[in-house]
Amino acid sequence: MSSEESPQITRRTTRLSAANSENAVDSSKSCALKPLSVNDLLYGNSPISLEELISSFPGRRGQIIELMSLLGPVNSPMFPTFVHGGSSTGKTSIVLNIFRHLRRPFVYASCITCYSPRILFESILNQLMLHRKSDSNGYSSIKRCDKPSDFVNLLREALSGVIGTLQGNAEKAGSKKAARWPNGKMVYLIFDSLNLVKEWEKSSTILPFLFNLYDILRMPEVGLIFISNNSLDTYYADTGFVEPFPFHFPDYSEDDLRQILLKHQVNKNLYSSFLDVVLRPFCRITRRVNELSTALLPLFKKYCEPLGDLGAVPNEDMKRKLYGHLQRHIAPSLNETFRVSAGLTSGASRSKDNKRKGIVKKLEACTSSYELDFHMSTSAKFLLISAFLASRNPATLDASLFDSTGGSDNRKRKRKSSAKSLEQKETTEQELLMKGPGTFPLERLLAIFQCLTSVAEYSPDAEYSSDVEGQGNRATMGDSGYIGSHVLLQLSSLCNANFITKGGSCPLEGSTRYRSNVSEDLVLKVARSVKFPLSKYLYRR
Amino acid sequence: MDLKNPVEQAVILLRSRLCNPNFIFTLFSDSPDSNYSKLKYIISSSVTESCNNSVLLLGPRGCGKLAVLELVLEDLLREFPDMISVIKLNGLLHSDDNCALKEIARQLCLEHQLAFSKMASSDENSQFLIAMLRECGLAHKTVLFVLDEFDLFAQGKQRLLYSLLDAMQSVTSQAVVIGVSCRLDADQLLEKRVRSRFSHRKLLFLPPSREDLQRLLEHALLLPSGSDLPHEFVANFNSNLLNIFADKKFKDIMDTVFNTDSTFKQVLTFLFSALCHLDLKCGFLSVENFKDALSNIQRQPKLECLKDCSILELYILVCMKRLEVREHETCNFNSIMKEYKSIHDSFQTTDYYARDVCRRAFEHLLQRELISFLDNRGHGHSIEFRPVKLLISWQELYQGLKSYGSCPAILYKLVERETTT
Repeated sequence: MSSEESPQITRRTTRLSAANSENAVDSSKSCALKPLSVNDLLYGNSPISLEELISSFPGRRGQIIELMSLLGPVNSPMFPTFVHGGSSTGKTSIVLNIFRHLRRPFVYASCITCYSPRILFESILNQLMLHRKSDSNGYSSIKRCDKPSDFVNLLREALSGVIGTLQGNAEKAGSKKAARWPNGKMVYLIFDSLNLVKEWEKSSTILPFLFNLYDILRMPEVGLIFISNNSLDTYYADTGFVEPFPFHFPDYSEDDLRQILLKHQVNKNLYSSFLDVVLRPFCRITRRVNELSTALLPLFKKYCEPLGDLGAVPNEDMKRKLYGHLQRHIAPSLNETFRVSAGLTSGASRSKDNKRKGIVKKLEACTSSYELDFHMSTSAKFLLISAFLASRNPATLDASLFDSTGGSDNRKRKRKSSAKSLEQKETTEQELLMKGPGTFPLERLLAIFQCLTSVAEYSPDAEYSSDVEGQGNRATMGDSGYIGSHVLLQLSSLCNANFITKGGSCPLEGSTRYRSNVSEDLVLKVARSVKFPLSKYLYRR
Repeated sequence: MDLKNPVEQAVILLRSRLCNPNFIFTLFSDSPDSNYSKLKYIISSSVTESCNNSVLLLGPRGCGKLAVLELVLEDLLREFPDMISVIKLNGLLHSDDNCALKEIARQLCLEHQLAFSKMASSDENSQFLIAMLRECGLAHKTVLFVLDEFDLFAQGKQRLLYSLLDAMQSVTSQAVVIGVSCRLDADQLLEKRVRSRFSHRKLLFLPPSREDLQRLLEHALLLPSGSDLPHEFVANFNSNLLNIFADKKFKDIMDTVFNTDSTFKQVLTFLFSALCHLDLKCGFLSVENFKDALSNIQRQPKLECLKDCSILELYILVCMKRLEVREHETCNFNSIMKEYKSIHDSFQTTDYYARDVCRRAFEHLLQRELISFLDNRGHGHSIEFRPVKLLISWQELYQGLKSYGSCPAILYKLVERETTT
């Protein structure tokens, strides 16, 4: 359609603007969102009662009551409060739900989404001045503000505006609409994830500024709440700052964890018997709710395998049987607590099992998988191996390792290891442990890569014949000594995947050096998948 | 007015008192050699005698420097209604010279109802400032500059300080510069030419003495009889409070507060916390409220952090401690894993987990800031090789293990053994 129209347009337009002019009519009919009002400074559509609040956060009754007493009755000023605790302990959700219960207006800014001072300031001002970013104002904030001095002036204006509206509301308290209005004349500012501010560039001025904000503003109708993962003593400042009132959220105890994990389960009895067996060992590793729930999910599926009816209430006998079935899976599963599964669908895994039935049982027993569980192109695999060798082996050995015979000299002279050489071996091993992989320049990497690919025997086997990429890459492997630009692209994607890091550059040479970041296990898996004899090339001290 | 019960009203009243520094410090403004009177004398004499002056208010944070200054300014504005104009700057906001000049111009325009242009350059602003000073001098109006966080203005080139103090040297201007800082050596930070123009008047603000503290308690917490609370309730509340003050346990609590940190801010935080614990049903304060408040302000954050750790994380901390005791200069994740394996081999613990799991526990410890990397810039290395250090001492670790509850006995043995060797 646009190609028909373009000859008619006399001045030059891009296809994008031509397409936009067609859509301009539609955008005006788009849903016009109604302007914001002070009532939108509340959380949640419907209020909740105190019992609902406490029951929806098991184990947090004490914290909820104490936090509510800190906030005090309606219209009572408060000291700035600093809520801290481990991650996934419910700080943000409890604070927001307390405000939902109390129906008090607040402004929320999280330092995860507001990752620079300007965005933080503008987000707060937008919320206070009831400004919504939309197409009509070009998705811009109501005021541009990146300096703390401007922020304080604009904040004062905005806060007086909101407080004035709230006071006006309070006077009209008798009307019918008052039920939906916020309570009181105070506005609260909530700063979430404050620990991320420590990594900002200007954190040495912004942090004391935020903590002193209450004293700078001198408005008793404003309450400040800071939420952070770390306690106040990790916030260092040269000359200190005004310390807010600290409030700690401890991590959940085992009983609390049990209540939380049981909350959304369909069959509570079954899950409770599962937790009896599993919760204690897992709690020795971590007590975070998010990590436990993802780790326990596959284990629960295994627990329920022998059961025909998932809604059954287990009696003692069944519990013992289920435990017996589960027991040998617990220990390996503990070692995989933080493993992110590669996302194989059940169909693929079943077909794989059919092919290699014999190996399956053996595989289940060992903790780490035998094969690489993600896909890499062949040239990337060789590049990774070359990078690993370049990091591990000293550069002086390259000539002997990668000579024309294509193998390393494995004739180890058997010498009686004296005490001194043993000690030397130990210190070098210690050094290897401490220093880590070495750096190498790009030329050395490409040289090793060339040697490896020209020498590598690439025999396609039943599995690889279906691999289209394998066929494509065979052509490049065949040409000796030709390195195309695709290799450099592979190198940059390996860098992006953090398998290779770009280190600092040597001041004398001026070129960047790289460092391989992968563990020996991963490289062994990769080498196995391309049938590369890695051990021949590794330098053993 | 909606009918709140008197307890709630009393709580709101007391909270607003505690959060309002002006109220607290009116108590300390009556004696003749208090800082309040000295400051008032300095400023009022320079206003009446039309001369220039500068003074520094120094003292630790939370000792009432700004609060006393606000009281003095309020009183002076009442006494000399048209002869003073106040400009307030804060080092956290306005340490940059351009920002500061813009803010001065904005405040001057606000006060004298002039139109302020945000687009004015800093040259224009500084010329405006000099012109205003001259005009105010001719009109016998004193301009008071309050510079909060004075030490932050003294960083960098100190251009603003120099221009302010220099403008004060001329006969036509009447200005007083009041600097407020928590660094007791704030005047040593000034450059030579700035310091020579600065009159070395310093007022030192100190934390209150024990008797002042007692007076403060009564002043802050006793309900006034003139408020619109029912008289009976006020009388009962006050008599209950006086009983508490006379109680020996309460005196011990107050002694503890005074001995640990006796700045006004800390005492006010303590009183605020006690007020938050007030049981709304019974309506009066009790000694238990003050005890709870004391435990609130006597926190041990590292111990709390240790109690939140899981057992694997405690193992990692103990391994690091052992490496530290053996005087390895640096340790990294790999050496910690080696130590972990050797503990498992020699003691056959049940808690031996795979490397990935230990690495994630290691990352949790980094997040909690119980350990940290030695170098900030070493992003080239992976997490396994970067050197780390412990951020807690042996005593804290030992105390944390003791109060952990379900800590395996092997960890106690390991930590204890290190202390004896």
